[in-house]
Amino acid sequence: MQRIDAIKVIAPFFTPEDLCVSSLGGLHQDWWNLAPPIGNTFNPIILGSITTTALGLALALPHRKILALETDGSVLMNTGSMCTLGSQRPGNLTVVVFDNGIYEIIGGAPSLSSHNTDLAKMAEGAGCINTITVRNTDSLKREFQKMWTDNEMGYIVAKIEPGMHRWAADQLKTTDGVEDKYRFIRYIEKLENIVVHPGSQR
Amino acid sequence: MNKPLQETAEYARLLLEGLHDAGVSLVAAVPDSHMSGAHRLLREQNKIRYVLASNELDLPGICAGAYFGGKKALMIMENSGLRQACEPISRYAFTHHVPLVMIMSYCGDFGERNWWAINHAQTMEPLLNALRIPFRVLSDPKEIKPNIGRAFMHADSSQWPVALVFTGNCLEVPAYLRKAPPHATN
Repeated sequence: MQRIDAIKVIAPFFTPEDLCVSSLGGLHQDWWNLAPPIGNTFNPIILGSITTTALGLALALPHRKILALETDGSVLMNTGSMCTLGSQRPGNLTVVVFDNGIYEIIGGAPSLSSHNTDLAKMAEGAGCINTITVRNTDSLKREFQKMWTDNEMGYIVAKIEPGMHRWAADQLKTTDGVEDKYRFIRYIEKLENIVVHPGSQR
Repeated sequence: MNKPLQETAEYARLLLEGLHDAGVSLVAAVPDSHMSGAHRLLREQNKIRYVLASNELDLPGICAGAYFGGKKALMIMENSGLRQACEPISRYAFTHHVPLVMIMSYCGDFGERNWWAINHAQTMEPLLNALRIPFRVLSDPKEIKPNIGRAFMHADSSQWPVALVFTGNCLEVPAYLRKAPPHATN
């Protein structure tokens, strides 16, 4: 199972009613192309702050399904966030960690999850519930479907093989971080019928 | 046993009132000794969601996510935590223009008795300036409530982080210093 295969499993479950916080690197290009780029995904360009951003969003909108798409490199950069997540356990948040054991986009240097670190066990020890490691698309589909619909937090570590899908130039995400923020905010404003950033219309 | 509200430090009571007035619904925090009363108050009430974080690195993401969800969220930490939180703050500010409102205790301010706290003050202002974060230093508790409202207004209109730095009577003397020898008192 490569990342593209895993995303093809998850994307069909993600609807316009749901919100996603996704990590960076090749992941966000895959998600951009396989989940409808309608504005309900935000890509913080911040390793170590994907889960925390999704946590804040999940606490703010407890009636809304929130998906966090993580990577082993990002999780390893802030393992303390597992403890914060484990203390809150928002029922509307599902975290999927794509764990290829390497920093693929910078040339394939190994990450610590390729040594002795087990991210799912760490999450469980940190207080997270419904933690599991999956290694193929069948088990990913089964576990994700369950966790996405059970109204409890879920933490899936998807062990994936290295390999990046090469998207054509005209398929690459072209927006920058500020545009991404405004797209996400405006999407949520319409979805929730709320005002997040009123601008000058105070 | 919990202390009644009127027995808590004035700054802590005014902080909580200010958060209510401003419509803050989430506080993400790492406790510190100079604001222990405020953290206790926040833990013991239910109107504002109090999220205890593993370290300051967690705070910007939690507050940014809450902001995207339409909530007013606040980070509270010691100023030493600014160093820990620098990376996500700078990314959220410079890369995404996301407003974050933070309150930090001014550990190491003029008159500090602990040698190990001096560096917290030495690095705080340079870091805030490097991050282009506008800040106000508050020493009178009466300044707390109006400045909370201004901080949220400024953060949202500028789409950039804002900081309030508490010192003087906006802090408390940590329990471990209350029995300090006379030569060590301020």
